[in-house]
Amino acid sequence: MSTVMKTTRDVKGIGLSIPRPDGPDKVTGQVQYVADLNPRGLLHAKLLRSPHAHAKIVRIDVSRARALPGVRAVLTAADIPVLKKKAPTRAHAVLAIDRVVFAGQPVAAVAADEPAIAEEALDLIDVQYEVLPVAADPLESMKPGAPPVAELGTEADTSEAQAHGSVAGVTTEVKSSKAVNISQQARLQRGDVAKAFAESDVVIENTYRVPMVHQGYLEPHAVLAQWDTAGNLTLWASTQGSFNTRSEVADVLELPENRIKVIPMECGGGFGGKIRALCEPITAVLARATNRPVRYVMTRREELEAGMPAPQVIIKLKTGVKRDGTLMALEAEAILESGAFSGAVLAVAGVFLASLYLWPHFDVKGFEVLTHKPSIAAYRAPVAPQTIFAIDSQMEQIARKLGVDPVEFRLRHLQREGDKMANNQPWLSNGGVEVLTRLAEHPFWKKRAEWKASAKDGKLRGTGLSLGGWLGGLQPTGATVRLNPDGTLQVLTGQVDIAGTNIALAQIAATAYGVDIDKVKITTGDTDVAPLTGLSAGSKTTYTVGVAVMQAAQNARNQTLEIAAKELEASVHDLEIDGDRVVVRGVPDKGVTLASIGKKGNLYMSKVEPVLGASHPAFSVQAPAFCGQLARIEVDPDTGEVTLHNFVVVQDVGKAINPAQIEGQMQGGAVQSLGMALTEALMYDDKARLTNPSLLDYRKLTAADLPNIETIIVEKPAPHGPFGARGVGEPPIVPAPAAIANAIEDATGVRLTHLPLSPERIALAIASAS
Amino acid sequence: MAKQVLNFTVNDEPAEVLVQPWDTLLDALRERMGLTGPKEGCGTGDCGACTVHVDEKPVASCLLLAMQARGHSVRTIEGLGKPGALHPLQDAFVRHGVPQCGFCIPGVIMAAAALLAENPHPTEEEIRYGIAGNLCRCTGYTKMLAAITEAAGAPVGRRS
Amino acid sequence: MRRFELVLPGSLDECVKALAQAPADSKLLAGGTDLLPQLKNGLLKPACVIDLSGIPRLRSIEAGNGQGLRVGSAVTARTLELDRAVRANYLSLAESGALVGSVQVRNLATLGGNICNAAPSADMAPPLLALDAEAVITGPKGERRVPIAAFFTGVRRTVLAPDELLVELAIPNPGSHSGGSYLRHTPRRELDIAVVGVASQLTLANGRCAKARIALAAVAPVPVRATAAEQALEGQAVTPDLIKRAADLAVEAARPISDQRGSADFRRHLVRVLTRRTLTTALARAGA
Ligand SMILES: Cc1cc2nc3c(=O)[nH]c(=O)nc-3n(C[C@H](O)[C@H](O)[C@H](O)COP(=O)(O)OP(=O)(O)OC[C@H]3O[C@@H](n4cnc5c(N)ncnc54)[C@H](O)[C@@H]3O)c2cc1C
Ligand code: FES
Ligand code: FES
Repeated sequence: MSTVMKTTRDVKGIGLSIPRPDGPDKVTGQVQYVADLNPRGLLHAKLLRSPHAHAKIVRIDVSRARALPGVRAVLTAADIPVLKKKAPTRAHAVLAIDRVVFAGQPVAAVAADEPAIAEEALDLIDVQYEVLPVAADPLESMKPGAPPVAELGTEADTSEAQAHGSVAGVTTEVKSSKAVNISQQARLQRGDVAKAFAESDVVIENTYRVPMVHQGYLEPHAVLAQWDTAGNLTLWASTQGSFNTRSEVADVLELPENRIKVIPMECGGGFGGKIRALCEPITAVLARATNRPVRYVMTRREELEAGMPAPQVIIKLKTGVKRDGTLMALEAEAILESGAFSGAVLAVAGVFLASLYLWPHFDVKGFEVLTHKPSIAAYRAPVAPQTIFAIDSQMEQIARKLGVDPVEFRLRHLQREGDKMANNQPWLSNGGVEVLTRLAEHPFWKKRAEWKASAKDGKLRGTGLSLGGWLGGLQPTGATVRLNPDGTLQVLTGQVDIAGTNIALAQIAATAYGVDIDKVKITTGDTDVAPLTGLSAGSKTTYTVGVAVMQAAQNARNQTLEIAAKELEASVHDLEIDGDRVVVRGVPDKGVTLASIGKKGNLYMSKVEPVLGASHPAFSVQAPAFCGQLARIEVDPDTGEVTLHNFVVVQDVGKAINPAQIEGQMQGGAVQSLGMALTEALMYDDKARLTNPSLLDYRKLTAADLPNIETIIVEKPAPHGPFGARGVGEPPIVPAPAAIANAIEDATGVRLTHLPLSPERIALAIASAS
Repeated sequence: MAKQVLNFTVNDEPAEVLVQPWDTLLDALRERMGLTGPKEGCGTGDCGACTVHVDEKPVASCLLLAMQARGHSVRTIEGLGKPGALHPLQDAFVRHGVPQCGFCIPGVIMAAAALLAENPHPTEEEIRYGIAGNLCRCTGYTKMLAAITEAAGAPVGRRS
Repeated sequence: MRRFELVLPGSLDECVKALAQAPADSKLLAGGTDLLPQLKNGLLKPACVIDLSGIPRLRSIEAGNGQGLRVGSAVTARTLELDRAVRANYLSLAESGALVGSVQVRNLATLGGNICNAAPSADMAPPLLALDAEAVITGPKGERRVPIAAFFTGVRRTVLAPDELLVELAIPNPGSHSGGSYLRHTPRRELDIAVVGVASQLTLANGRCAKARIALAAVAPVPVRATAAEQALEGQAVTPDLIKRAADLAVEAARPISDQRGSADFRRHLVRVLTRRTLTTALARAGA
């Protein structure tokens, strides 16, 4: 599909670092997010949330809240007949019915004239709870006899895994064990593991733990809901997928989808956390109850306490190798803590653990475990950073133990195109080898001995690298490309632009049609007007929507050329687009302008059809994308403080459609990865209550904690990507935890297996080692 | 608990607005004056998205009450530059392709503008600390540093 | 935030009167960087808030010749960070001010708010303890002075009566042969709360330590002095070995808890490390 377009000159399109057209609006504060909307008659919503992680609701009395002047509606589950006790997803659990299953779960909702009045109304709602035993730790929760989380008979939710379209061929069993809180199980096996361990010379066993982390988007969830007199609902949403939001809200509220219009506003970050509906249904219900526009904006505290974070992942990993470095056996148990509702992408963990390097014998068990915590969602390459942290840390330790070069060791065993993944699917074309090789050529890697030796003033220095990736997502999509009466192009998709993808899509359209980028305008339409499309997630927007746009633009180009051929009495094959004209190749005077073709498609009584290119492809071939990262650090052994001196990101992007946008993705993803490595964790007490519900204590890295992030783009074309492009969003969040852990070991000799690699863990480990 | 009259200067113009005693400066700007450039990312001082200048100093506008700005001069991102007449920092942010989701950007630019006003030629370290109160989840800060560094070198008062 | 009445006094007298008339749960508001998050999270729901920002007296700094320093309670952390007089003789206080929050927070956060909020982790408290500051308090019955070491009575509790307010802090000049230092540990470099903070102040005479002060934050319900360590230093020539011993002794003054910011073990470990480092710096500054 990577067609090379024939034009007489290079158009201004693919491969250029064109700034996003919304830049000026963003730097002047003109871009509108949901919370910036302030329609007449606006009411403000607030939710009363449970202080307990597990409790029976004995009684709710809202009479005093309803009586407060300025309060327009107070709702409990009893007021919303469509709610069901066996809520399969968080979105369905609009308000708790008779039991709360995590601290922060909404119990009642208020709409009032002012936020302050709504908050006072919450104070006046009287809820009597009967506190129940809590399942706070996944290892305890998976044992038989643990306090149950889900209502009996609730089905596991595997839609997240499907949404990311990431892993085929893994059979996931839903609930078969006696342990009530194990909601999914999966197993991948090959060969004879016991025998292979018996024949191994070096066996290493570790338990890796990565806590729940939050996506950390800077704009909290927000939605504005309004109904018209005919019973149609409009939602202005901060979402990564307006059609998905529409489907979920329709399902929860039992409405036909065409009665709901979702208008995707500028999305202030999502990273997987704004895929699923969260506060949209309750806001819609409040708007209907009050007949007024209702806005709900989550507070940051609510985001942290009751958002949809990434699961805690615990991986018990045992590997065996021969003294000569031959890989023998891998045995793993991956436990994904999903919180109160099922939804983890269990298969990713299994496949990455056993597929990245070629283990002849393996046995990987995966468990999704429910606990009384907020349920989870995707976070940029869901479960890949956690899994790669385990497997890459392990590879590094094996190489050190064997005394072999860690890069050569990885390269020797890295699976190549055609090799069988753990799920028996073949690895597709990818740049894993190229990325790792490029990283190892970096002077920082070559000079790692010098760096280590340069430590002074009691500090320690080290270098570490790691390789990770993402298999790539797929989802059907659609796009149209129209030729306007003035010869400009109009591209329409329903795809929410969360990562600068619209400029890349415009570049694709420009190149595929054969005009300069400044002739192309791209619009993200709402769900009433745009072609159906998938989520902006899974690193698939450019890969899939890019193909739709490319095909639609080619389609529009062909229509244009056919119209011109008639006009010029020439064969289509002799025509080309040059600037703003279609000309006969070699006869530049013989031509017709795009504007005249566009105009004829819109003239009274004209017989020329308007140019409307359309494409609505579905896909079957993924494009795996690899990223390698290298860290040069200094450790203060007394305080455990890590100073990042340099950080390098190498990534295979297939084809860099807009290099500057890609660099931005690589840098942002790397810093999220570093946050997971160094400082971030949602921390819970033994009653499953969050102990760090603010951005002061949930520590995302600041500019002062970081060096410049160096980016190196590798281009190994994806056979089916638009112009060879691969997805770029997910891979950069994957490698840093292992790279930093490897660098810490290089500097201090201490191996850490629990994230975050906090000063406390580092300092106490060093103190106890010496 | 009647509304109170807030007299202050906003983006160089005298302003008089009715505010609630419990309105923060951020609330007053956004909800009562339609200046939605400053954003609320946390409401508790931890993210910097709401950064505005009060008497030329950067502050978290979610942490002071609107009435505490009485008699003072406030500048928001709307008062720094406009599309077509961008401040050198805004111009550099566009050209370096800094904004991704954009939510942090007004706050970051206001923090950077205050830094450059006080310290026209900051070191990389000084820039990093100057915007350390502004969390950005999208960019990794690298392009921000480049844009601010370049704007610092740009002649003062340049408009593009 | 819930609703409340807001009073805007223009002078100290007006403020004292307003405070006397206001309901008992009223709150004084300085920079709001502690109070507003508490109001927003519903930890406090006062009916009335009294704003201190309109009282010029509370924002003044005076460094009289040899008289010591008088810092108004509403002086901001940013001012302390940058003020020449403070940096000259009371460097640990400037250093602690420079560490608070971020620049957007420091431009609001006040010294008085930091002290009156009385968080165990308050960064500006240990330097005040190490500098033997006195709190100047006023109320309907007039002014009184309380040594800063006696000011804190528990987590978020002070000697202030509900109708009193903190006017200023009076800090004696430690003299030219004295040096101080404040260090804290946080996982992030900015925008973080101390896991442990240590302020040290050493005054030298004839090559020996005439006076030693070591104060610790975030290791007990209130900021505490490490008196055993101080005594070990006083009267002695300060050597690296002695500093090490003092750092070990300082750990005994700590009664840390384990919480989301750090374990008790790590906190004890940090007290030792930071005491050693601040004493080393203080010694160098005292000699310089
Ligand atoms: C993002 C962020 C980061 C922070 N980082 C730090 C940090 O690094 N280190 C640190 O120590 N703190 C930190 N803090 C806490 C806070 O900024 C400081 O404690 C600050 O000094 C409080 O001062 P304020 O003027 O804002 O107090 P306010 O919030 O106005 O008041 C705090 C309390 O003191 C009372 N009060 C204030 N003034 C007086 C007075 N004159 N008399 C009597 N009572 C009074 C108030 O009633 C209130 O109870 C941080 C806060 C935030 C939001
Ligand atoms: S909104 Fe004010 S600092 Fe986050
Ligand atoms: S651009 Fe999204 S938070 Fe900074």
